[in-house]
Amino acid sequence: MDLISVLATVILIVTIGTLVVGVAAYAAFKLRDNRRPKRKDPKAAAEGVHKPIFLKPYSPTKAVKDPAEGS
Amino acid sequence: MIGGGVAFVVFSFEKIRELGDQSLSILFENFILGAISAYLLFFLSLLIIRYAVLILYSFMEHLEYVLRRKHHPENQRRADKLLPMITLVVPAYNEGPVIQQALRSLLLLDYPNYEILVIDDGSTDDTYEKALAVAREPHEVPIRIITKPNGGKADALNTGMAQARSEFVLNMDGDTKLSSNTLRACISHFDDPSVGAVAGNVKVLNRENMWTKVQALEYIEGLAMARKAQSFMRTVNIIPGPLGMFRKTALQQVGGYDRDTFAEDCDLTLKLLMRGWHVVYEPTAIAWVETPSHLLDLLKQRYRWTRGILQATRKHSAALWHPRRAGINFFILWYMLFEGIVWPFSTVLGNIFFVYIGLQYGVAIFLFYWWLQLTMLDIVAASYCVIVEEEDPSLIYYSIVFRLFYITVIDISKVFATIEEWRGTAMTWGKLQREGKL
Repeated sequence: MDLISVLATVILIVTIGTLVVGVAAYAAFKLRDNRRPKRKDPKAAAEGVHKPIFLKPYSPTKAVKDPAEGS
Repeated sequence: MIGGGVAFVVFSFEKIRELGDQSLSILFENFILGAISAYLLFFLSLLIIRYAVLILYSFMEHLEYVLRRKHHPENQRRADKLLPMITLVVPAYNEGPVIQQALRSLLLLDYPNYEILVIDDGSTDDTYEKALAVAREPHEVPIRIITKPNGGKADALNTGMAQARSEFVLNMDGDTKLSSNTLRACISHFDDPSVGAVAGNVKVLNRENMWTKVQALEYIEGLAMARKAQSFMRTVNIIPGPLGMFRKTALQQVGGYDRDTFAEDCDLTLKLLMRGWHVVYEPTAIAWVETPSHLLDLLKQRYRWTRGILQATRKHSAALWHPRRAGINFFILWYMLFEGIVWPFSTVLGNIFFVYIGLQYGVAIFLFYWWLQLTMLDIVAASYCVIVEEEDPSLIYYSIVFRLFYITVIDISKVFATIEEWRGTAMTWGKLQREGKL
């Protein structure tokens, strides 16, 4: 066997091992994550209804008709 | 590898010819394998172009930076009294082990006019008490601490920005350590009125094992090559959470951080870009961060990043289909999708494909050339980035580990994360447990 073939075999074995480890690690991560206590809505605030604190973008509404102009 | 790919396509068609009128399934298999090999060849060409363009543009950005420094050396910097005030917003949720070191390091920044604003986001540990203790110590820099019910990082940053007393706001993480020149380096970019934000450089502090050292290299490559090139093209698409300075006016215009994605920094950057603000990258402003030192924590972080970026991209997806209206943002979003979806799917597909070829046909040599080609690209990129960033040269060796093991594991996680995002699977924030390495 030449060097390239040996290296190719090594890479093949490592790649198979890595694919297996990758899937197993992901499964382990999901398993660990699922066993933790969660909120019902993960994006909701822990206490009470969330209201935006920071300014919201200004969007102009319809111009209010001046009552002095009459109908 | 290109030669290998071509050889395989030829091999596939030769095989079909040899089979003659043998079973259709074998013919179909050969057709599928040929199609995949052609796709991988195309993908590899894209990667080579991507690396070449990024290295070229990042080098041009680097040259531009060197020339700028030559014409405006440090000793000609602006007088202290002309520098505007900056508010440093430090959101903190259960940062007890690191908050005091982080705050004390912020007191040493080289800038005459700044305040520190700590937002305790309903921590359940002693974060608030520890931050208060530092605030009560005698020092020139004012430290304010606001405690509020837990509402997430975006909410804490919005609170900080609403309470900031200055036009310029620096957002960071509670566990981040900044280089002393950060404020001076970032503020100079705001002389240009079109600049809405400055993205800082992020480096790994806890280089203690293989995982963190590979991440150190990954961060260096991501910033010194990709982010610099983006800065040159004015397409910086993420202001990193650990270090980003903003013009408050720009933040007000886009309504601050939204809470509907898990990558609020990416979402905010896209909102700024969509509003026409420019985002620039400042390589000398450095945030030192603690990265996950265990595989499962790392996967958790990348899972959240992947889904968060996909959520942000989907939120601004209108720009994907309207190139004229979106302008440069059209390219930014498509590039994000390439890096977020196409790249991980293609590398995982490539690995599975060549493993199959190796096992089925006994030709592992294709897998070897596939790996070698990608590793060579990684080594070239790593060498360039380590030289430009004046980093530890031993990190270049980790580019072999990066390609051999690390990125495959990460890509598998990204593929699953993408599938789960597509299916709408519920997810949680997933805060990294600090080890107090700061």
